[in-house]
Amino acid sequence: MATKRLCFVIRTLPYKIEGSRLAMTHAIASQTVEIYLEDGDLVEASVCFIADGVLNCLKNQAAMKHYGITSIEQHLKNSLLLDMKVMICKEDLEKFGISEDTIVKDAEDLGGETVAQIVPYSEIQKEMEAVDHLLFC
Amino acid sequence: MKLGVLMSDFRTGSDVLDRLSAEKLGIIFVGNGIYHATVKEGGKTSPILEKSATYYVLTEDLESRGFTSANVDSRIKPVTYNDMVDLIFNEYEKFIWI
Repeated sequence: MATKRLCFVIRTLPYKIEGSRLAMTHAIASQTVEIYLEDGDLVEASVCFIADGVLNCLKNQAAMKHYGITSIEQHLKNSLLLDMKVMICKEDLEKFGISEDTIVKDAEDLGGETVAQIVPYSEIQKEMEAVDHLLFC
Repeated sequence: MKLGVLMSDFRTGSDVLDRLSAEKLGIIFVGNGIYHATVKEGGKTSPILEKSATYYVLTEDLESRGFTSANVDSRIKPVTYNDMVDLIFNEYEKFIWI
């Protein structure tokens, strides 16, 4: 009867390497492993975007149109749809001059209610300290 | 020589680019190289754009990452895949990828 908490920290750019995509898909997949666990055991994942990784959060990614693959934007929305905790580093958004209205913060168009949190790095640090397993991608 | 450079990374390769010289130098930002054309880190444009070169950025890679031509620095010309083929065959004698 325990909850294992995982935190995926995405620090790499999208598409050229698969780091951010693997982090998102593994975080989403972690919600399905409960069928293999003992009754009452749970896995809870969170996803944090820091450094170059915040550039994964931009809206209007046309990856399906040009590459024929699901965009990181879509994975991000899917994770919010699953009520996953998503944190985006405020300082890194500011460093790149990215405004909040240009990033994915919710999955309202899919019926999701959970909203991504734009937080100072100190909050992401607290999340990293609070979880059982830390996965940098 | 007329040298074309395809640049597909954001964090590496600028050291190589610094040392390159050519009578005609063209730099095409592709893949994650497009962030040189769009992002102002700490309010500053990419130092790569200070070189004496003609700059291009691949529209398809821009759009895949959530940008449009409107986000591109004025020194850089957005080009499509078809345009890039023309550049390769008509404008430059040699091409490298960094």
